[in-house]
Amino acid sequence: MRLRQILLCTGLLLVAYLIQVTLLARLPIPGATPDLVVVTIVALALAYGPVTGAVCGFVAGLIISAAPPADGPIGVSALLYLIVGAVTGAVIDPRDRTVPLLSGIVGLAAGGVVLATAAFSALLGSDRVVWSNVPAIALSSVIYAVILAPFVVPLVDYLVRKATVELAVNARSPR
Amino acid sequence: MFSRRARIILGTLVVVALTLVILSLRGGGGPLGLFRSGTGAAMGSLQSVASTLVSPVFTAGDWLGSLGDQKERIATLESENEQLRQLAERSESDRSRAESLDALLRVAGLGQYRVIPAQVIAVGPAQDFAWTVTLDAGSRDGVQEDMTVVNGEGLVGRVVFVSAFTSTIALVVDASTTVGARVAGSEEIGILNGTGTQDSLEFQLLDPLADLQAGQALVTFGSKSGRPYAPGIPIGTIASVSGTGGSLTRIATVTPFVNISRLNIVGIVVEPPRTDPRDSVLPKANQVIPSPSSSALPSTGSSPSPEVSASPQELDATPAAG
Repeated sequence: MRLRQILLCTGLLLVAYLIQVTLLARLPIPGATPDLVVVTIVALALAYGPVTGAVCGFVAGLIISAAPPADGPIGVSALLYLIVGAVTGAVIDPRDRTVPLLSGIVGLAAGGVVLATAAFSALLGSDRVVWSNVPAIALSSVIYAVILAPFVVPLVDYLVRKATVELAVNARSPR
Repeated sequence: MFSRRARIILGTLVVVALTLVILSLRGGGGPLGLFRSGTGAAMGSLQSVASTLVSPVFTAGDWLGSLGDQKERIATLESENEQLRQLAERSESDRSRAESLDALLRVAGLGQYRVIPAQVIAVGPAQDFAWTVTLDAGSRDGVQEDMTVVNGEGLVGRVVFVSAFTSTIALVVDASTTVGARVAGSEEIGILNGTGTQDSLEFQLLDPLADLQAGQALVTFGSKSGRPYAPGIPIGTIASVSGTGGSLTRIATVTPFVNISRLNIVGIVVEPPRTDPRDSVLPKANQVIPSPSSSALPSTGSSPSPEVSASPQELDATPAAG
């Protein structure tokens, strides 16, 4: 039970990450890269609850910031994705899932991650953040996430249901 | 809102994350460096596998679109068609690879750089604000930190991190990049900075009184013993100059030669040339001919080629009035 959950989360995040860096980041589209990892973390948090969402976010962020081509301090994205997983898992009632609500939450998460990354990196003294570019990147990230959400969230939800015998709601008991 | 157990887990993770941030800001090796190179090795190999898997997407958009609706009746025909098409695309992608390798060899040959060819296998997301890519060559191939990376068009960036089979490149447009640059055909040098946008760089001349015009080309000035930047590599052309001669902040916007969004085959300069190649690596259209004589033109051909007639140096022969 537990093992299946861990395997599913790891597998989904790994696939999302690889698609993001090898495919999505290279597409000739303006602004940000479609943040498939954040969308997947939100989807997992919705399916498994805030604690699993937070752990997934932490692990994903840790791997992303340590693996090439990342070149910033390790841990920034771990912290931000952790917050995304915990908050989105906590604020949404699993019974109240409409497409606009899901897309809105995912969009907010993606935009928030961009702004928080910019603010946090600048705070840590990174000379890479060019503030004049930040609004466009944040906005495009929101748009791409909103487009991705209606496809990714139901898919993750379906896989989770498939992998768990009980309904996903049962896994939320520690809440 | 959260149970006691959830609060403990979340709190621990936050503390760990913050600790890691602080540790990695301190720099240096240690267990974190080990973690980074381990993750680099594991993820790098996964990235190169994934990159191979997704490569058809970049050579053929329409092939992917036609995959969806295959009718049962003509399934065999279509699969055969598909195979042939894949074969054709494969040869197409092989040809484009060969072309990029040719261009790289031209640059390497002209400038006497010894390069290791490598391929871009992953690109950092734009929302990380770092313009970095992964290459499929690492320390096993002889790559070391602070080596220059070029392609057939010009300067790509420098190596910032090396694991066993992959390396991370900070591109020239990364906002943390600073390159010493020289205006082609002159001795004027200045400092070039990345702006974090993919098609512009900022160039500031050390001599504020020097003559700077749109259309002039820039090459790298070269760092000490060729690291992180080997000398003579084409960087880009000046698109516009802001500020007047003599003012302290006279900044030129530079368009890089390298198309950042279409990087594929690149070369890592493992050995810089013994002598500075000066302007010899620049594309023909940007090369400054010492004596701008009209006598050279008729001998080359019946009509002047578009590259020659579009040469910015000839168009902007009159100095811009302040």
